[in-house]
Amino acid sequence: MSVVAGELRSDVGATFDVLSWELELAGARCIFLDTLIGKLLGTVAPEHREQLIEGIQAVDLLSQHLTGLSTFARGLSQTVAAQEQIEVGAALRSVTLGALADRMTSSFGGDEAGINDGDEAGDLDLF
Amino acid sequence: MNMVNPGTRILIADSDRAVLEMLQIRLDLAGYHALAARSGPAALEMAHNMRPAILVLDLAITEMSAFEVLAALQRDVSRPCGQILLVGKRLGVEEVKRGAALGVRACMLKPFSGADLVERVGKMLKPASPERPPANGFGSRVAPAARPAPSSNVFI
Repeated sequence: MSVVAGELRSDVGATFDVLSWELELAGARCIFLDTLIGKLLGTVAPEHREQLIEGIQAVDLLSQHLTGLSTFARGLSQTVAAQEQIEVGAALRSVTLGALADRMTSSFGGDEAGINDGDEAGDLDLF
Repeated sequence: MNMVNPGTRILIADSDRAVLEMLQIRLDLAGYHALAARSGPAALEMAHNMRPAILVLDLAITEMSAFEVLAALQRDVSRPCGQILLVGKRLGVEEVKRGAALGVRACMLKPFSGADLVERVGKMLKPASPERPPANGFGSRVAPAARPAPSSNVFI
């Protein structure tokens, strides 16, 4: 875990922005997966295709779900008062996926605040 | 849907890893060859070596200011980037004007979606964009200096 104890504050709009980017990133990974499954479709035996098609539909739905939530978070970021600050450090410490916690901490200015140790190890980098 | 010339190189220069990765996936899936740089010096080096058709440059890039990157690119007589798209949260009229003087072709205000960026890149790569505004360049779509409206963007 690369987020160490310490207070990290962010304005509410920026917090929604960071959430929005992360949701969109998850959505983009789903689209990547969707494309990959689509390519596999032609290589599997006909009796397994239906299952794969169900998988494509589920991933597509998940992608749309995440993109919709990202759009919602982006919309909220535009409507909240810019000066309102919240403490995000405690919530970030409960994020157990190291790469996600690191990225979000950096986005909240944690690198400058010395909260992120910059350790990117221990994560599964697919791309 | 835009027709993409396969392998058209797009360089994204942004210090935010989520933004960088999301845009890279989106552009790759759209058929472009997306390249990523997380700092100003890395963006300059990659631009020089890879000669992208478009550089997507974040205003808040680290280690050098975005304007220092733009000035360095302008000084480079080999013209390493085809076009430059400046993106950022705090893009106001002054930043747009300063960017335009340093070779920026279009601007986009953050936050935007990956789909928005892919669409913008596609329009920039079209030979003659019908959206291109007349001489004054900015029109009513220019970003206000304060908090911008969502999805605002401008061709210069």
